[in-house]
Amino acid sequence: MANPTLPGDDELIPRLLAQDETSYAQIVAAYHGLMVHLARAIVGEAIADEVAQEAWVAVLRALPGFERRSSLKTWILRIVSNTAKSRLRHESRTVSLDESFEESPIVDPARFKPNAHWASPPAMWHADTPDALLASTELRNCISDALAVLPPLQRAAVTLRDMQGLSMEVICKVLEVSESNGRVLLHRARSRIQMAIEEYEKQ
Amino acid sequence: MMPSCKDITEHSSDYLDRNLPWWKRPGYWLHLAMCVHCRRYVEQLKLTVNTISKLPDATPPGVTAGQIQKIVEKMKQSTKE
Repeated sequence: MANPTLPGDDELIPRLLAQDETSYAQIVAAYHGLMVHLARAIVGEAIADEVAQEAWVAVLRALPGFERRSSLKTWILRIVSNTAKSRLRHESRTVSLDESFEESPIVDPARFKPNAHWASPPAMWHADTPDALLASTELRNCISDALAVLPPLQRAAVTLRDMQGLSMEVICKVLEVSESNGRVLLHRARSRIQMAIEEYEKQ
Repeated sequence: MMPSCKDITEHSSDYLDRNLPWWKRPGYWLHLAMCVHCRRYVEQLKLTVNTISKLPDATPPGVTAGQIQKIVEKMKQSTKE
């Protein structure tokens, strides 16, 4: 998502290093919303803005050492992700970040025959467009509930990929996971939402 | 080798995102061509992904001029510390 009002990294970075206030305002305007969105996925709504603000301070502090191995935006989002993850580790002993990589099957094994073909195949849904599905308040709530109970890194992966439209390569850099783990996170998140819709459709 | 229905469900995001390794693609396509259940499963995953992108929460929150100013002040402050 290139921002038309934001200068390129080559121009912007020296200005930020020179503590140019206009550039501070430009970059905050361009990225703060994305940062809160990502922080919300990892730590929840209540402290997402605080985490994003904390990340801005960390960004300025680390900027002189930024090696430009990724775009500035990717690097900033990685700082948000790290700030959020460490907040989560400090504040919640019950949530484990590793839970995001659980190895349980995507679909309940009971739905397959011993030869791994469907015993209980998916049924038709009443709607075949997103708008038609989201027209039901009850289903919207089911989807929100399913998103809310996802492990944090799975929610982050689906936020960055399916909501913000970032590439898998960028997402893996932001979340500091290998490409295969990034794909696992995303597929698990999507599958859980799919299951939530399926459950609703069964009623 | 042709993947099973279970294999199809395990790799359906890779398929939709065109991340399936080239050597897995022919088997995947062949299975989908023959299996109505898996075609439906993959279609429903695709619909799920498109639905997620249209959720009200899918749009990053907006930032007001006042918020920007507040953060900029904080940034300026931090460089003085």
